[in-house]
Amino acid sequence: MSDIKAIFTGDRCLSCTACMANCPVMAAVKEYRGPKLVGPAHGRMHFSQEDVEESLNYCSNCKSCDRACPSGVAVSTLNMLQRAEYYKKHEHLRHEDMLAHGERMAKLIRKIPFGATFSNIGMSLGKTLGVFSALGLAGERNMPAYAATAFKDYFPRIKQTAVNKKIVMFTGCYINDNEPQVGEAFIKVMNANGCEVLIDKQFKCCGSPLVVTGFLDEARQHADNNVARILDWKRQGIPVVTPCTSCSLMLKEEYHELFGEDQFHEAAENVYDAFEFLEMLQERGEFNDNLKPLNQKFLYHVPCHLKSQAIGLPAQNILEEIGGVEVKTADAGCCGISGNYGFRKDKYEISMKIGAKLFERVKKKDFDKVISDCGTCRMQIHHGTEIKPVHPIEILAQAY
Amino acid sequence: MKVFDVIVIGGGLSGFMSAAVAANRGQRVALLTYGSGSLPLASGAIDFLNAEAPDAAIKNLPAHHPYKKIGLKNIDAAAKFFCDVTAQADLPYNGNLSAQIPIVTAVGTLKYSCLVPESMDASKLADKKKIFVAGIKGLKDFYAAMIIDNLKKYFPDKIFEAATLDLNLLGGRDITCMDAAQLLTGNEQIFADGLKKLNATEDDVIIIPPILGLEGNSSRAAVKSQLRAEIFETTCLPPSPPGIRLQRAFIKYLQKSGVKIFENSKVVRGVVEGKKITGVVVENAVREKIFPARKIILATGGFYSGGITMRDFDNPIEPIFNLPVFFTTGAENWSNENLFGDKPQGFSMTGIFTDANLNPIDEDGKILFENLHVVGANLGGCDKIFERSAGGIAIASAYKGATL
Repeated sequence: MSDIKAIFTGDRCLSCTACMANCPVMAAVKEYRGPKLVGPAHGRMHFSQEDVEESLNYCSNCKSCDRACPSGVAVSTLNMLQRAEYYKKHEHLRHEDMLAHGERMAKLIRKIPFGATFSNIGMSLGKTLGVFSALGLAGERNMPAYAATAFKDYFPRIKQTAVNKKIVMFTGCYINDNEPQVGEAFIKVMNANGCEVLIDKQFKCCGSPLVVTGFLDEARQHADNNVARILDWKRQGIPVVTPCTSCSLMLKEEYHELFGEDQFHEAAENVYDAFEFLEMLQERGEFNDNLKPLNQKFLYHVPCHLKSQAIGLPAQNILEEIGGVEVKTADAGCCGISGNYGFRKDKYEISMKIGAKLFERVKKKDFDKVISDCGTCRMQIHHGTEIKPVHPIEILAQAY
Repeated sequence: MKVFDVIVIGGGLSGFMSAAVAANRGQRVALLTYGSGSLPLASGAIDFLNAEAPDAAIKNLPAHHPYKKIGLKNIDAAAKFFCDVTAQADLPYNGNLSAQIPIVTAVGTLKYSCLVPESMDASKLADKKKIFVAGIKGLKDFYAAMIIDNLKKYFPDKIFEAATLDLNLLGGRDITCMDAAQLLTGNEQIFADGLKKLNATEDDVIIIPPILGLEGNSSRAAVKSQLRAEIFETTCLPPSPPGIRLQRAFIKYLQKSGVKIFENSKVVRGVVEGKKITGVVVENAVREKIFPARKIILATGGFYSGGITMRDFDNPIEPIFNLPVFFTTGAENWSNENLFGDKPQGFSMTGIFTDANLNPIDEDGKILFENLHVVGANLGGCDKIFERSAGGIAIASAYKGATL
């Protein structure tokens, strides 16, 4: 475990090109020099020189290269570290600042009376008037609408019975600000499985949007804050569980890869993806399998950041416990959006090209609903197909 | 997690083949991979043995050779199954075990192999009058002049012509064969038009880099139908389109057959109950996860893939199940300094020994695990590179391991 820090993994690269053969961005655009040259090759040289690899800008941090690598090189994290170096000497663009700080935006908006309603109108007006495009955002996209009340503020109103078994929910920004119904479903499911859900208001954004836009120092502040909180919960024997796969990957793996110190790994041991946690309950015989049959077919888009976690496909496994439920994986690769990547004006087309195979698969419509654990994957599928996917936990909640 | 009938460890050729065969027999299969496997680096051709008639030569191999444990019937069936998988992905292969087919390498030498992609089959090269070699402007690592120089050594009486086509690939990074194949998919006409201008006839052949798409045969069909001359693809440096096509053909087959592929899943040990393995343990960044199974197929490869490792000289290790690894003793027998010479390399014989059921055995011949089968490059007892048997052993042992 001690050698997981990304910078130490670069030397394992044999230049075999497996990462190139699996990079969806390389397949979509020929300007990107690819993970091998940009990550392990230039990554190692870069720390001793001042030169800049411009095409680094194209990496979406989808982590397909990491999964393709037979030698355990943390290719995408090497890219992100270099991106942070780049921004030490270069100004961030306005849209990069906006996209990196979704949490700050949401807080600002909610301070205004009826802010969410106005901002949602503003979002659609902004889109119509071409303001987004001028800012460097992809004008073709709808910005995610803000929920009137953030999930964390709404949370105290949700009735739960106090029990001994407690878990802390790491909501993630998207569920907190945009899709609180996923949070509600999460609570219903965990309650049905004998767990009382707590919320820790001191948690900050996991930092994933900051890392990919090169705000590494700020991401480190978030990491330090979150890790201190997670370790506090760990001391009390209370696990931290999140229904967002990019948050869970960041908390479990990327903090440690990026920053290296032992406390990141110690904290990571107390973090679970939502369905990973449920499957663990199942393995211990503690899963509540008193489920109402649903008789539905689902197409499951497995997020890249779930594949990277090496936990199998727990959502598929658990949902198939429900009577009449069939879950088919889409097997169509990366959706292309990669967090805030596809929201950038200059990356929009690449992101849609990467997602084309998945859109084609979804448009076959040989299922009742599309499911995916990742919020931005769901947005991308909705944008590319007009079919609105849901989080698998919303399905499971229906069965209780 | 539900118990799988079969868990295959390893995403190379033998892992894919094992999973495909097991799924074809109606079993519930999981394939655990760590890294994308060797196929994107491979030529796409499947060598069985460097002999004029490999099937006859296999009969004369010593008893400890993996082929002898697999048996000719299985080897034959494996070749047929393999061709069936690729045919279903519209990726036709030519050949059989009783002869070898030539293909042109990236440097213009001929390499002989039993099963080759139809797009690379250069059998008819000898009958042609004129050989065109068409390079692409901006494409890395394809040198028409060098290919011609080397081919002249085989065919001194033929007419050669080098050509360079401009497919507007410039602008951006250095273009590899994989990039060109990707960029040409759906834009084949520009390539077909360029080739037509060579005015090659039925008596001629055009040799091209392997850029006819990354999936199946449709790019090739689109170009071929417009030409009077045959076109042959060469091999290339990785990433290699013919290897990627083969990988995608297998993945398609596995997905269609309901095999669950778990990426990034590094198996660290087995769950052992006496002489049975009831599951495998996958280690991720923070914890371990058990994948339960009734039967395990070990397809993790040899030295090059981490299926066998060696920290201390004379102590090679199979890191998952700690199986005994057999190797050539004595440093002086370990390697042969003439790398491409006429003798095998001692270290390449390293591997696991098995009985006829591909169950791993110890030095007394005792079976170690009854439901574990070892396939592919971690089988010991022969230098697969020297005797050019790696592909054949991979698919044939996989076939047998999955049908037992």
